[in-house]
Amino acid sequence: MKNSIANNPALLSRIVQSVDKQKGKWIGWIMIGVVLMYVSVLILAPLIALTVNAFERGLGAVIASFSQSYVLLSFWNTLWIGLIVVSIHAVFGTIVAWVFVRHRFPGRDLINGLVDMPFAVSPVVAGYMLLLLFGRNGLLAPLVEATGIRVAFAFPGMILATLFVTLPFMIRELIPVLEAFDTRQEKAAATLGANGWQTFWRVTFPALRWGMIYGITLTFARALGEFGAVLVIGGAAQGKMMTTTLFIYHALEERQYIGAYSAALALGLFSLVLVLGSDRLRRKGH
Amino acid sequence: MFIKLYKSLILSLLLIALLSTGCSAGAPASGASGGEVKLILAAYTTPREAYRELIPIFQEQWKEKTGQTVVFEESYQGSGAQSRAVLEGFEADIVALSLEADVIRLENAGLITHDWRSKPFGGMVSTSVVAFAVRQGNPRNIQDWADLAQPDLDILTPNPKTSGGAMWNILGLYGAAQRGHVKGFTADDAGAQDFLLAVLKNVTVMDKSARDSIVNFEKGIGDLAITYENEVLVGQQAGQTYELVLPTSTMQIDNPIAIVDTYADKHGTREVAEAFLDFLFSAEAQQIFAKYGLRSPDPVVAQATADQYPLIEDLFTVAHFGGWGEATPAYFGENGIFFQILGQVQGIQITE
Repeated sequence: MKNSIANNPALLSRIVQSVDKQKGKWIGWIMIGVVLMYVSVLILAPLIALTVNAFERGLGAVIASFSQSYVLLSFWNTLWIGLIVVSIHAVFGTIVAWVFVRHRFPGRDLINGLVDMPFAVSPVVAGYMLLLLFGRNGLLAPLVEATGIRVAFAFPGMILATLFVTLPFMIRELIPVLEAFDTRQEKAAATLGANGWQTFWRVTFPALRWGMIYGITLTFARALGEFGAVLVIGGAAQGKMMTTTLFIYHALEERQYIGAYSAALALGLFSLVLVLGSDRLRRKGH
Repeated sequence: MFIKLYKSLILSLLLIALLSTGCSAGAPASGASGGEVKLILAAYTTPREAYRELIPIFQEQWKEKTGQTVVFEESYQGSGAQSRAVLEGFEADIVALSLEADVIRLENAGLITHDWRSKPFGGMVSTSVVAFAVRQGNPRNIQDWADLAQPDLDILTPNPKTSGGAMWNILGLYGAAQRGHVKGFTADDAGAQDFLLAVLKNVTVMDKSARDSIVNFEKGIGDLAITYENEVLVGQQAGQTYELVLPTSTMQIDNPIAIVDTYADKHGTREVAEAFLDFLFSAEAQQIFAKYGLRSPDPVVAQATADQYPLIEDLFTVAHFGGWGEATPAYFGENGIFFQILGQVQGIQITE
């Protein structure tokens, strides 16, 4: 028996394969289990807790909390800041990524590190840095005084703060895509008589499209959730300048729990739809 | 199909956002234009429920008197953080802060130029005392300051860097020890510092404001919160089940209110701001403050509400520490006693 297996390489390899497959299957299942647990504990469980608490007093209470005028206003403010921030990063983030991949220049490494700084710096600190710049005693106070454009404790400051915290997303999404892009395609287009703009629009941009969409989505989702920086630079003012995260904070402090949880849920679901949407879009596109 | 849906979703969002600015662009500008005037109130966190009742009453009175509508823009954050925001250009017409030191900062910066102490009660619109919130039934049997030094007790108190309430708390426990009201600690500076160290060793979280601190306590963190008496009473009114413990010796908290001259003059709101302050010092408003847990500095109102507010055996004020001019640098300066002792303690979670 022993001999017959040893002398039959085909059979041996089949047995080994099936054992490997069995083992692979087990490890696979364990890994999938770990992933499911990890995601459900860290993301699903809090989301469920939030949903349960928001609907504690029924759908009516949730709807009533959304019908207050300042809640809707806070959603508009958040949406607006997000759209402005995304528009600016879509343009300048692309330029930064482009220059980074295509050019070598002094200070490139330094700037490369600085781009990641918003990941490392607490948003509250970011808010204070802007105050040190645009506050009444800030470095740029004379400029603020001369132009009459208020930055600190006004929307421009909140937009700047959100721009700061969302800076890396677009750039970090685009750099790998640009690096993977074969520049010979551009050269071929140029050889065929395309001008610079046509080359960009017809050849380079389509290759970047999915990276851009994902970068925009992440930027937007992050902008929606920003809290610490806008709290500091916005001065915790209630009313016209409130964003949704600020509303949630104030509502919690006033013990209006249903309002806070409902708004948090709406904001979370909106971000989730955005991210899932762009992910599916990307897969369909490829 | 899906791509189309997603594109149209984003397009419609853009459209809605565009339309919404079209609407808001028509909103009236700030300042004393026409029949509307805007007042910006920058306050510390704990009297917000009182202002929610007070502001509509004042709006009605002012409308009756002048025909003008007062629109309020309120901001609530830790007293220190609030004072620094106003200093950095948050253009509040009125500041209602936890402690005098935070108003003095604005005086020193030249933003407040009038003698705000000439108002009734030395410019103090409300008072309270440093107290404890404990869990229902007081399971750790907290009766007085000395019980805060027991092992394995989790204490919440806010961060003195941003919160006025935190400074009151620290001075309250320090003063009580100095004055010989903390058993097991000598009635001098050494004893007070030992006691401060013992309490700080039990502190688990330092939040950025008194309200953040008590709200965290409500979520089940900690065995005890050192806080304003009014915070406990307002929390109980909102259905919370924790209990109030008043120490035998504690600090009287005096909360100042003042018009910020620079900004009020810039906005042209001095007249309505003065009227709002006069209203807050009136007996009518003082009774409303008392309803929301604040002890009135008005002796008549205090007398009338005495049954809600037990007498403290040994009540002391910041004068015990030589006033804020001396207490701020000595205790909360960079090398002040608080930070020296905090440096010997590890593992306190400080929230931003």
